[in-house]
Amino acid sequence: MLNLFASLGAWGMASLTRLGRAHLLLFPLVRGLLDILRRPRLLVDQLFSVGVLTILIIAVAGLFVGMVLGLQGYNVLSRFGGETALGFMVAASLVRELGPVLTALLFAGRAGSALTAEIGLMKATEQLSGLEMMAVNPEHRVLAPRFFAGLISVPLLAAIFSCLGVLGGWMVGGGLLGVDQAAFWNGMQEGIDFHDDVINGVIKSVVFGFVCTWIAVFQGYDCVPTSEGVSRATTRTVVHSSLAVLGLDFVLTALMFG
Amino acid sequence: MQQSAKECGKPLVRIRGLRFRRGERWIFDGLDIDIPRDRITAIMGPSGTGKTTLLKLIGGQLVPDEGTVEVDGQNVHALSTAELYRLRMRMGMLFQSGALLTDLSVFDNVAFPLREHTRLTESMIRKLVLLKLEAVGLRGARDLMPSQLSGGMARRVALARAIALDPMMIMYDEPFTGQDPISMGVLVQLIRQLNDAAHLTSILVSHDVAETLQIADQVYVISDGRVVESGSPEELGEGGSDWTRQFINGLPDGPVPFHYPAPALSDDLLEGARC
Repeated sequence: MLNLFASLGAWGMASLTRLGRAHLLLFPLVRGLLDILRRPRLLVDQLFSVGVLTILIIAVAGLFVGMVLGLQGYNVLSRFGGETALGFMVAASLVRELGPVLTALLFAGRAGSALTAEIGLMKATEQLSGLEMMAVNPEHRVLAPRFFAGLISVPLLAAIFSCLGVLGGWMVGGGLLGVDQAAFWNGMQEGIDFHDDVINGVIKSVVFGFVCTWIAVFQGYDCVPTSEGVSRATTRTVVHSSLAVLGLDFVLTALMFG
Repeated sequence: MQQSAKECGKPLVRIRGLRFRRGERWIFDGLDIDIPRDRITAIMGPSGTGKTTLLKLIGGQLVPDEGTVEVDGQNVHALSTAELYRLRMRMGMLFQSGALLTDLSVFDNVAFPLREHTRLTESMIRKLVLLKLEAVGLRGARDLMPSQLSGGMARRVALARAIALDPMMIMYDEPFTGQDPISMGVLVQLIRQLNDAAHLTSILVSHDVAETLQIADQVYVISDGRVVESGSPEELGEGGSDWTRQFINGLPDGPVPFHYPAPALSDDLLEGARC
């Protein structure tokens, strides 16, 4: 019994220490912004690998989610003769919830895990130590551009997700199921509030982008520099990011719409 | 007029009373080492004695529990981050793996420190990079990526990168490990030539005895956290302790026994027969 408490205590202390290290990492990440301003190319390169290369999976996922929303929404709304609200329902679901949340989950799986693996491998192959010995701060040079690239990319990717989701909903609702197209777009235009829906959705995606990228760069930087350590860190990135996004979504939704 | 440390003939690196531990194990327990200028000093010892750790302590990547490490008169661990980075610009380090940046070509790897720390034009950087690559014999490989290089070539590129800023000293971490005889011969020759041509101070960490003693001016042998022997390669070969002679000559048995401690073989065999 005593061993159990001791193990729990050790686990708790280790977790708190890691959390502390993760928070301390934020200072050099923010300071790395100066390096980025001096050499924007560092950020542009990362925006390509973190953001642009994630567009395809986001676009395809957004389109399919929108199509499913159109189909399911039509089935429910048609029971009450409310098919004309399909546009509003699809757009509201996407802009408020599914766009930011699913984008963040997909981002964590595609780009977050890649970030962790890349940084972890750089650590395992002594590239980060090499940078330090060349008087180059790896936190500014390697981590900060990746962090800000993620922070910028996720809201933009969420916007792409939502736009293509609406397009998917319209293709199914307006194209296949015969919902009046004017009613589809009018309902969306009248029902969606710029501040309550769009801005809140953007705030969510910024928060999710921050958390997912922070977790990814920290896990890579803090991993045990072995192949097993990198593998475990990559798994932790996806698990922690997914849970953090879902938990934070509830908190943010309660604050915004509760 | 204040005399510089170099004029006084002081060692470039001065380590005093160094104590460093990992967990409960003391890696260094009162280590004293002087690294003279313009010479090649070898740090030797069995695996796990903390040779690489010592280089990281000299480079300020690790902080000792006690003791001081002075490089060119500056206490490495009392420097601010900016001062430490300025000092590191005058140090080069060759990692065991090469530590080349895998997303950059050979040319860009060597150009990296020049682009980071100087305001030289690209045409000047190109000339310097080509000269550094010429020095290690890899000017023709400038467009290759690190994944296309052999282990020996990667280390030579890393060496070109380490000398890109014309440092005052270079630390070599196991430069000969895993090299074929030709690559090893090339590296041995390069380390000696670079040291003499550029008046560098070299710290060579290795347990490749023959190659290291071939080029070292001074040798420190460390074991159990302390210096157990020091002197020129000739002195070590002639008058060293039994332990040092076993290490230098690679003898399978001696003060470090061939057999892991165990009961007598006959006892073990008889016990098996009784079961």
